[in-house]
Amino acid sequence: MSGPWSGPASALRRGALPAVGVVIWEAAARSGLFSPLIVPSITRIGYQLWLFVTRPESLAEVWYSVARGLGGFALAAIVGVALGVWMGRSATAAACLGPIFSGTYPIPKIALFPIFIYLFGIGSLSKVLLVFLECLYPIVITTQAGGRAVNRVLVWSAANMGASRRRILRSVVVPATAPFVFAGFRVAMPIAMIVVIITEMISSADGLGYQAMYSLASFKTDRMLAIVVVIALVGVALDRLVVYLRSRLVFWERLDSYYTQ
Amino acid sequence: MTARSAVRLAAPALLITLLAIWQIATRFEHPDFILGPLEIAGHFGEALWSGELLPHVGASLVRSLPGFLVGSFVGVVLGLLAGVARSFDQLLSPVVFLTYPVPKIVFLPIVMLWLGIGDFSKIAVIALACFYPSFINAYYGARGTARVMVWSGLNMGARRTQIFRKVVVPSALPLIFAGLRVSLALSFILLFSTEMINARSGLGFLIRQSESSLRFDLMYVAIVAVAALGYAGDQLLLLLRRRVLAWQDATAR
Repeated sequence: MSGPWSGPASALRRGALPAVGVVIWEAAARSGLFSPLIVPSITRIGYQLWLFVTRPESLAEVWYSVARGLGGFALAAIVGVALGVWMGRSATAAACLGPIFSGTYPIPKIALFPIFIYLFGIGSLSKVLLVFLECLYPIVITTQAGGRAVNRVLVWSAANMGASRRRILRSVVVPATAPFVFAGFRVAMPIAMIVVIITEMISSADGLGYQAMYSLASFKTDRMLAIVVVIALVGVALDRLVVYLRSRLVFWERLDSYYTQ
Repeated sequence: MTARSAVRLAAPALLITLLAIWQIATRFEHPDFILGPLEIAGHFGEALWSGELLPHVGASLVRSLPGFLVGSFVGVVLGLLAGVARSFDQLLSPVVFLTYPVPKIVFLPIVMLWLGIGDFSKIAVIALACFYPSFINAYYGARGTARVMVWSGLNMGARRTQIFRKVVVPSALPLIFAGLRVSLALSFILLFSTEMINARSGLGFLIRQSESSLRFDLMYVAIVAVAALGYAGDQLLLLLRRRVLAWQDATAR
């Protein structure tokens, strides 16, 4: 970053809020006003974090959560992009499926989780499918918007030059839609993590969400906070992954908003 | 004409077909936890009159509305300020953007520890989750204000507060509403998950309790109520948006 964001004064400002937070936390922990059960000191959280990341079995817990999140996300990406491009390019598909998607969009799909448990069992499948369902909506909606926004002149020129429908789809529509697809991915990825953690908190025997609730129930607040840190790091890492993939795959276009910057 | 009306009928036709297939499928051998749409509608009416449903709806709204209002209000105000004031931007934005992808539900256990397991901890987590989309959209809305507008305002002798009120806020409104819509959807997701995790009332609790006591009729009623609330909230917000943004180009909605 350059321009107004560089320089020592701005670096100071950017670090100010986190630094103040850490100092207040540590002061509260050391003041003796609160039990370490309620506000454990940062060194204790750090120790638990170290214990957590150095044990293979707890890294397996990270893997369960990430695999569920990425599994549902990947499923939603495949189905969502296909549906979105189809709805963006075909008026019939948009008329049939559009109202169904926009009508059920504001409904919290998480309410279906108990039915999903009955249908698909209490293991990973019900969680993966719920992640899929929640991630599908942002991906379909942004992809459809992208499919609709493809420059007509480009499609006509390609058709004029004798390109087949498949060729136009592959060489014109898909590249023109890609920035929108990634905008949808950027919205969907945090949702995937939210749903994984929530479903693991509600009913699971493994994964980070379960571990956080388990630590709380066994009064290991420091361990719980260490897991919260791990979940936060995983969330940020997955978001960075989407941003990285976009910068490699859709290097030619930037849409002006947070999700596409 | 016929083509257009056919297109308009396509979605309802598809919906009715799906519901009919569902209804017919329940006439055959099926597990207890699957109910047909007609049965669910009947149970919904019964639960509405018997008073099994409404207290839970009330309990849920008491949690979600304050959380949504507080979180999105703070988010919009801070987002607008960070969008116009550079020092504020540098102070706040890095933290907000870094923590945005963190699933806010992970703070539920900590907040439960600090504020107890009552309504207050749920409201706090919902407010936290609603803060982020509101902040980010208000921020980009304020930053996207056309410079020419600000310059013209300054040229015509407007004060900074006037420019903020008359130029920056209106031009940020479309994005602010987009953020509010995301926040509202998130507030419902968090409401039902916090209620499923621990609560003694509310629709999330009702879903979970009726599921574990094998009262699938009540479980479906609660799910339908959740869906209806989510849909109604979204429609209300869209209505408000149409009122407030009446000046905006219809195609840009």
